[in-house]
Amino acid sequence: MTRVNSLIVLDNRDNIAIALQELQIGMVIEQGDIASVLEVKTVIPRGHKIALIEIAKDDPIIKYGERMGHAYRAIERGTHVHTHNVIGDRVSTEPEPAE
Amino acid sequence: MNLQSNDSQLTGFLRKNGRWGFRNYILVLPLHNALNQLADQVRVHHPATAIITSVAHDWSGEVDSDWARISRVFSGFAINPNVGATIFIGIGTPAEEEILRNARAHREMPITYLTLKDAGGFERLEQQVMESVSEVLPLVASVKREPAPWSAMVLGLECGGSDAYSGITANPALGVASDKFVELGATSILAETMEILGAEHLLAARAKTPEVGQAIIDVVARYEQSISYEGIDIRGAQPSRGNIEGGLTTLEEKSLGAAKKAGNAPFTGVLDYAHTPTEAGLYFMDTPGHDIEQLTGFAASDVNITVFTTGRGTPTGSAVIPTIKVATNTEMATALPDLIDLNAGTIADGTQTVLEVGAQIFEEIVAVANGKLTAAEMGGHREFNLSRLYGSTL
Repeated sequence: MTRVNSLIVLDNRDNIAIALQELQIGMVIEQGDIASVLEVKTVIPRGHKIALIEIAKDDPIIKYGERMGHAYRAIERGTHVHTHNVIGDRVSTEPEPAE
Repeated sequence: MNLQSNDSQLTGFLRKNGRWGFRNYILVLPLHNALNQLADQVRVHHPATAIITSVAHDWSGEVDSDWARISRVFSGFAINPNVGATIFIGIGTPAEEEILRNARAHREMPITYLTLKDAGGFERLEQQVMESVSEVLPLVASVKREPAPWSAMVLGLECGGSDAYSGITANPALGVASDKFVELGATSILAETMEILGAEHLLAARAKTPEVGQAIIDVVARYEQSISYEGIDIRGAQPSRGNIEGGLTTLEEKSLGAAKKAGNAPFTGVLDYAHTPTEAGLYFMDTPGHDIEQLTGFAASDVNITVFTTGRGTPTGSAVIPTIKVATNTEMATALPDLIDLNAGTIADGTQTVLEVGAQIFEEIVAVANGKLTAAEMGGHREFNLSRLYGSTL
């Protein structure tokens, strides 16, 4: 049987995963590489990031096991992780308004 | 991949300078663009055509600001461990003799130098080159493939025609294979300075020593200076609009995606363009982003296998390095099968994991090292490009 995953977890240290298809609100994802069942809370476009755990304001965003920036507001598990809540560590410009 | 350092699966050709080749070519290397066609004719018409390789380029003997770079590339290319013998063909100038001396100083091997001046004409030179190939043939053939240690591998990591999938499929999968080789005592080289801009502090944090970390920061700073000198702001505050629409949030993230070809291993050193690593480990080489200039620099640095991830597909291959193409998406891999060796698009399709494809890439590298031909080799792709810092003066 061909297994089809809906997310990619690039490194087991990551607190985000990449959506392989558009994820709809209410979808429940069970995958071997995710610690527990993940419920999708916001629409996640294909190729975009979803929070695997609760991420507090100023916490690092970890992708590939490395720090790719930080949350400038708290991010709920199962929601979209992008420019509306994450900024690079070396960027000083004002973040965009919330979605 | 439960392989250990003492159970290498590699076989290769041991060279007198201790390096290992995975091919055993006779290289016909023109040292003037007027001789490109002659080199190509010999390669095509000699009965041993299958093991002859040649290149073409635009250099016509200028000794200017770029001379050190050009000289190093020609001499390094000529002694790549995948080459068993080199026949230089030139006009007969002191600059050519300097290239020859540099090549001979770094590797004991059959090297011949034939010139238009001595031959007295193109046709006679072509005849001499044909005879010279026949002469070195038995010497080259006498070097046999034998079991090689993992440290024989000097892997070049490259990407070109990247797309939204590169950073989540082919690049991290290649990183898994690269990490495994480094762990087994091999050498792996990441390159393309402009591609790591924004993530250089993260790569520097993986350096084995503070000096190596500083060197990574410095090559990027140098690159940025050269760009701002031309009045271009490349760093910006964020990735491009297209990148953001594709799901990339920060510049660090974008550059990490490119650098993931080199996995998570610590960096042993930083190399200037076309310089050769001296001990095993993971290196960063300061190269242009241009695919063929990068590949040519790898060839001059003793790289003996390259893995090239691509989203849009490219035929690029090297005259002396087997180049394995890994597709980042299934659509392109299906559309351009004769350019692609492996499809990492299955990760985005959700049918394979990064680790699974990484293991496949590792096995493919071993198979190609042991003689399996790549798509680029079967297609006869032998690209070569001189990299210039100062532009053409003529």
